[in-house]
Amino acid sequence: MSFKKSVLLASALALAATTGIYAQEVAREDTVIFDLDRTIKDPENFNWFTPGTKRLHGAHQAMWEPLFILNYVSGELEPWLGTEFTANATHDVWTLSIRDGVKWSDGEAFNADDVVFTVNMALGNEDLSAREAATIRAQVASVEKVDDLTVTFNLKKPNPRFAVENFGVRIFGSFLIMPEHVWSKQEDPATFAFYPPIGTGPYKYTSGASNRMIWDRDDNYWGASAGFNDLPEPKRLIWLESGGEESRAQLMATNQMDVANTVTLGTFEAIQAQNPSIIAWKDGMPFAWSDPCARQLEFNTTVAPWGDANMRQAINHIINRQQIVNVAYEGTTETSRSIFVQYGGMEKYISAIEGAGMGFSSKADVAAGQALIEAAGYVKGADGIYEKDGQDLVANVTVNTASTELTRAVDVILEQLQRAGIDAKPVPVENGVFWGTALPLGEYELAYTWLSCGSINEPWASMGRYTAKDVAPIGERAPGFNNTGRWNTEATAAYSAIVDKMGGLGVGDPAIQGMVLDAYKYYRDEVPFLPIVQASKLLPYNTNYWTGWPTQANNYNHPAHWWGHMHQVLHNLKKAN
Amino acid sequence: MTDTTPTRAEHKLARKMKRFENPWMNPKLLWGAGILIGIIVLGLLGRIFWDPELVFTGSAPLKLPPIGFENLRKQAGIWDFPLGTDGAGRDLLALIIIGAPNSLFVGLLASCVGMGLGIFLGFSAGFIGGRTDDFIRVISDVMITIPPLLILVVFQAAYGDVSLTMMALLIAAFVWQSPTRLIRAQVLSMRESGYVQMARLSGASTMHIMFKEMLPNLVPYLFGSFIANVTTSIVTAVGLEVLGLGPQRIPTLGRTIYEAINSGALIQNLWWWWGIPTLLLAVMFIGLLLINLGLDEVSNPRLRKLS
Repeated sequence: MSFKKSVLLASALALAATTGIYAQEVAREDTVIFDLDRTIKDPENFNWFTPGTKRLHGAHQAMWEPLFILNYVSGELEPWLGTEFTANATHDVWTLSIRDGVKWSDGEAFNADDVVFTVNMALGNEDLSAREAATIRAQVASVEKVDDLTVTFNLKKPNPRFAVENFGVRIFGSFLIMPEHVWSKQEDPATFAFYPPIGTGPYKYTSGASNRMIWDRDDNYWGASAGFNDLPEPKRLIWLESGGEESRAQLMATNQMDVANTVTLGTFEAIQAQNPSIIAWKDGMPFAWSDPCARQLEFNTTVAPWGDANMRQAINHIINRQQIVNVAYEGTTETSRSIFVQYGGMEKYISAIEGAGMGFSSKADVAAGQALIEAAGYVKGADGIYEKDGQDLVANVTVNTASTELTRAVDVILEQLQRAGIDAKPVPVENGVFWGTALPLGEYELAYTWLSCGSINEPWASMGRYTAKDVAPIGERAPGFNNTGRWNTEATAAYSAIVDKMGGLGVGDPAIQGMVLDAYKYYRDEVPFLPIVQASKLLPYNTNYWTGWPTQANNYNHPAHWWGHMHQVLHNLKKAN
Repeated sequence: MTDTTPTRAEHKLARKMKRFENPWMNPKLLWGAGILIGIIVLGLLGRIFWDPELVFTGSAPLKLPPIGFENLRKQAGIWDFPLGTDGAGRDLLALIIIGAPNSLFVGLLASCVGMGLGIFLGFSAGFIGGRTDDFIRVISDVMITIPPLLILVVFQAAYGDVSLTMMALLIAAFVWQSPTRLIRAQVLSMRESGYVQMARLSGASTMHIMFKEMLPNLVPYLFGSFIANVTTSIVTAVGLEVLGLGPQRIPTLGRTIYEAINSGALIQNLWWWWGIPTLLLAVMFIGLLLINLGLDEVSNPRLRKLS
C-alpha cells in the first residue's frame, strides 16, 4: 500500500473511531444532552477529592448517589442511599442508617464498610482537598460501624446541621461515599485516578474526552430491584462542552441540547422565539431561578490597600448595585441587602439586619466612597485616578471567564470603580485556575465570587465560612474555600467567637436571632467581602425530547443541573410525545 | 515632410498623460488616503460633536437598534443613539468614533516602529555586509518563521490588560523582518551603482551613504512596505482583540466584535453590534489596499494605465 493510501486509510479509521462515540446505537430521543461550561482537563481521573472537573460532568448527577437530598422547596432532607440520620440530644453523636439492597454497579453491596472507609480516608489525608472532605475533617472526630447498615459519627463538637451540611447536597455536592473494595487497594488516595469509575447510580461511565462525558443506563440498577425507584427513561446521558453563550443558544434552538447553562435574558428570549419548546424555571419575566449563592466581591485582605477596612467600605459606597442588576443582569435579579440569600426562610434575619442599619444600599454614594479614599491619603491625579506616593490606586478584579454572567457583572463593577477614580482592571482567568489556585491559595486582589454561599433557611452556614479558624497562609489552600480573603483582625476574633457558639445551637433556637446581629456588626464594620446581587440562573430546558424538568409549577426540587441532586430529576424525566 | 499636427486621439492621450505627470496624483492612492483620512477625521470631529463618554458600560439603554430598525423586543432606534447600542449599554456611534482611530493608531504605530527597525537593520546588513549581514539575516529569517499571533496570545494571556501603545509595540516586534529583507536586497543591488561608488570615493561616511544617498531612492518601496505592514499590524491587533485579549477598557473595533460574539449577539439578531465594526474594518482595509496599489503604480510606471 502506498504511503498516501495508508494515510488516507488511517485518517478514515480515526474519523470513524471519533464519530463512533456518537454513533447512534442510542437514538437521540433516548438521549439527554446536558451543557458543560468547562473543559475536562483530565477526563480519565474520577478522584473527586482532588481539584479539577471530576463531578459535575455527570459523575455526581448520574453515577455517584448521595446519602440524602435536600429538597429546596419543602426544606426536608429526603432519604436516598441513607434512610435516616439522627443525632443524640447534644448533637455530637450522629447515627446513619443505610438503605438495604444498595449495590455498586459491579455487583458488590454498598454498606457501612464503604461509609466508614471513605470517611476515615478523608480524615487521614490532608491532600484530599475537596470542600466536602475538608468539612468532614474539620467536624468528625471518629466514625464507627455498628452493623452493616448502621454507622455512628462522633463529632469534635456539637453540630445540629451535620447531616444536611455534609450528606444532603445542600450546596452543589455532598460527601460522596466511595467503594471500599476498589479504593482500599490503593496506597495513596490522593493520586489514585479511580478509572474506570463505578458508582451506585443508574448510569455507568461509557466514555469521556476533554469536551464530553457519556453515561449509559445500567439496567441492573439496584433501585429498580430494591423497589426504591424505577429505572430512569433516558438510555444515555451526555455532558457536552458548549463553549459559550452563542453556541449554547444555537444548540438549544436546534434541539441538539436539552439542558443549558445560564444565558442572558436577551439570548433566552431569542432561543425561545426560535424554538417554542424551550422553557425555564418561571414561565414569564424574569424566567430565572435565583440560586442560593448570592454574588459578592471578595477582597484579599493581605494585599494593600485592601487590608484597610475603610478602603473596602469605600468600594461599598462606590458600587451601584441597581446598575449591575439593570445592565449586567437585564433586570433578572435583585440587589443583595445583606450577606444572605433572599429566600423566605432568611427574611427575618435580613429585615433585622436592615432594621439595625446594617443593610447594603442598592444605590451608590460615590462622594462618601471618595471621602474615605481621600482620608486614606490618596489624591486624585491629572488622569482622574487616585494616587498615593506616586502610585495609582489599582484594583485588579479576578473574574472567572466560564460564564458571560460573571464577566458582564465585573465589567459594570470595573466601570463604576474607574469612574470614581480607581484604576480597576479585570484579571480574566479560566474556570480551573479560578477555583483551583486563584481563590483557595489567595492569589488575587479582588474577585467576583459566591463564597458566602451556604445558608438557605438558617444563618450559620454562611456566617461560619468567615471565621478565624479557617484563615490559611497565602499559598496554602483555604479549607473548603472558607475565608479565602484571609480576614483576620480583632473583629474577626470577636465575630468568630459568636458564630462558633451559634454553630452549637439547634436550627431555630431563639437565641440565634440576637447572636446574628451581634456577629454581623463585626462583619459590617470591616466588610471582608461585599454582597452585590442575588444569583440569577436563567437555565433553558428543552421539552422537545424530554419533559418533567423542575419548574416553578412542577417544583419537586430546584433546577441547578450541575448539582448532585439531579438524580431526582433523572427519575422524573418522561419522553415527550 | 510629415504632418506633426496631433490628432484628436493624441490630444486626449496627452491630456491624460498630463494628469499623470505627477505620479503621486494617482486616483487609487487618493481614494485610499481619503478613506483613511476620513476615519481619522471621524475620530477627531466625533470627539467634539459626540459624547465620547458613551463608550463606557452602562451609559445608554441596552440593545437599541439603529435608526429605522427594530430589535427583537420591537423597540425602534432613537436619534440619541443613531447607530444603536450594544448589550452592555454602550453607544455604537461613540464606539466607532473612539474605536476606529484606535485600531488605525495601533497599525500605524506598530508599522512605524517595525519599519524604523527594518530600515536600520536592512541597510546595515546590506551595506556593511560580512558578519553583521549574517547575524541580521539569520535573526530575521528565524523571526519570519514564528507566527506572531501565537506568541502574542501567550504574552497577552499571561499579562492581561495592556495599553494600546504596549500592544502596538508588541506587534512591532513581529513586523520588522520583511522590510529588513526587502531593504537588504535593494541595498545589495544599489551598493555597486555609480553614485554610491562616487560617494564612497569622495570619503562620505557609511551613515551618510546609507541614509542620505541611498534611502531617498527607496522611498516608494518603503511606502509600499509600510502600508503592507500597517495592514498586517491591524489584522494582528484585531485578531488579538477578537480573542478577548488586548486592551480591556479602551474601545477597539476588535474588542467590540469579541463582546458581540461572546454575548450572543448573533442569535439575538443584534447585527449592528458586530456588523458595523466589521464593515468599518472592511472599509479600512480597502483604504489601505488602494493606497498600496497606488504606491505600486507610483514606484513602477509600467503599471500606470492610460485609460
